[in-house]
Amino acid sequence: MKPKIIEVKNLSKTFSFSVKKHGSSFFRNLVSPEIKTVSAVDDISFEVEEGERIAFIGPNGAGKSTTIKMLTGILFPTKGKISVLGFDPTTDRKALAYKIGTVFGQRSQLFPNLPITDSFEFFGVMYDLSKKEIASRTAELIEQFDLASFKDQPVRKLSLGQRMRAEIAVSLIHKPRIIFLDEPTIGLDVVAKKSLRELLIKINKEEKTTIFLTSHDVGDIESLCDRTIIINHGTVVRDMPTDELSKSFVHEKYLDITLEAKPKNFPELPQGIKYVQKDSNKITLAVDQRVLGVSDALQKILPYFSVSDIDVYNVDLETVIREMYEATSISK
Amino acid sequence: MKKEINFAIYAIKKNIQSSAELRTSFWMNVFGMMINNISFVILWVFLIQTVGSIGGWSEADIFGLQGFVALVFGIVYSIGSGLREMPQLISGGRFDQFLISPKNLLTRIATSSFGASAVGDVFFGIICIVIYLFMISATLSQIGMTFLLIIIALITFTGVTIAIQSINFFFTDPEAVTRSVFELFFTPSLFHGGAFQGTTRFVFTFLVPSLLIGTLPVEAITQTSFPKMLLLLVLSIFWFMLSLWFFKKAVRKYESANFMTFGS
Repeated sequence: MKPKIIEVKNLSKTFSFSVKKHGSSFFRNLVSPEIKTVSAVDDISFEVEEGERIAFIGPNGAGKSTTIKMLTGILFPTKGKISVLGFDPTTDRKALAYKIGTVFGQRSQLFPNLPITDSFEFFGVMYDLSKKEIASRTAELIEQFDLASFKDQPVRKLSLGQRMRAEIAVSLIHKPRIIFLDEPTIGLDVVAKKSLRELLIKINKEEKTTIFLTSHDVGDIESLCDRTIIINHGTVVRDMPTDELSKSFVHEKYLDITLEAKPKNFPELPQGIKYVQKDSNKITLAVDQRVLGVSDALQKILPYFSVSDIDVYNVDLETVIREMYEATSISK
Repeated sequence: MKKEINFAIYAIKKNIQSSAELRTSFWMNVFGMMINNISFVILWVFLIQTVGSIGGWSEADIFGLQGFVALVFGIVYSIGSGLREMPQLISGGRFDQFLISPKNLLTRIATSSFGASAVGDVFFGIICIVIYLFMISATLSQIGMTFLLIIIALITFTGVTIAIQSINFFFTDPEAVTRSVFELFFTPSLFHGGAFQGTTRFVFTFLVPSLLIGTLPVEAITQTSFPKMLLLLVLSIFWFMLSLWFFKKAVRKYESANFMTFGS
């Protein structure tokens, strides 16, 4: 069994802010406003083993970024315990910083007016690396992340995809044992996303770097992460291997049926089958496998339509995740 | 400690390099600020020539005062310009990047950017202090006191600036509040030192430490007053320690934010 490098127990974080009291005067609101408290993270616990690739996902406002910020020492928890590589981020922030790397997709930590090599040097000095270590590590990362063609350009002149590759490369200058990535593929095109995901898998395999990632992009989760933790309303709602995610929670198979001729009407379907999409030459049906199997469903619907082709497939991960978000939102 | 100092020096060098990449803007900032300051000192000297001495202050003292305040402000807000940017760093969530740094938090923030316009203040401050020392025909001990008092005033100004900027952690929209508090501290420091007598002198020495960065150092040099210098040293240490304690408490209030930003 691999060692646990992140241990989170009963972690909570609340934020307080003042709100306008309805019916109160401007002066009263100014002097004694009503204080409202919201719970961003509510009693969550989980563990991460060395070398894992974790997707920490949830809808907007679920508490993902707040949790990452507590794990990295940016925010102080209201309650609970955190241990990252044996350090408590609230008290050992500086010592922990030497062992972890962080990338926030919506923020840059590079010098905008200088080439990326200057940022490599800056972060190398910040992490107390010698000149020789900085030079060799920079060369290694430039090659690994394919940065050579634009390494001498000022950062502000780079494309978003180039900049994100550079951001991640720079955050690895000190060979961190864990890298926290908060939406690293935000705004990237499909090619840049694919390249970034491949690079992250590469550093996970070659340097044994643990990856802890938040993203709204299902592609990041599917192609990069071996385990997914879903958080909603500040609580962990699912924690399981990514490839089991779609199998375990959705009981529907989808049927794309191409029609030979436009039907006169769309008949009512037997129990367990429902329309997802109705077009003149194609319909999509969802079959609830708890009610009937796919072959039974096909036998029941074929008499209704003149069919030229049928495609049977599982629900995609995006739908699974969306259904989970919606289910946990309703239950709350 | 050595690593912290080495990194701080390196960060300052890197920021100057980054800032100097935009050469035109850099030199316009430097010269613009110098011209702005020159107009200010001309105004005060003209006032003294018109109304005569106030509270025993001469034209030389005005040069000394403007020199001290400009030099101290210029040094802190050029190499430690990050302190001035704390409201934006905190409200926009960019403060995160300093909390994940393995270096001393305050040093990292202060040296995170370089204020080119404040370089103009540094040049102007040095010129004014040289003029002041020449006008008072300074003795060797007065020249020595000047160097020590510049360091003492720097400690006080840095401490008070840290304390004021720490207020940012307690408000959702902190920029206006900290700007007002800073103006309350800084603006009186530029006023004619002789005008502060009795209660106002007490208030702006012990409650609002405006006189500690210019007026009192100049008086200590002109009068060759070592007790006054000692008082300034004690008060500078007090303000610095208080600011460190307050900053440490304030950081715990940081709530981060998720605004989209670009740039180091």
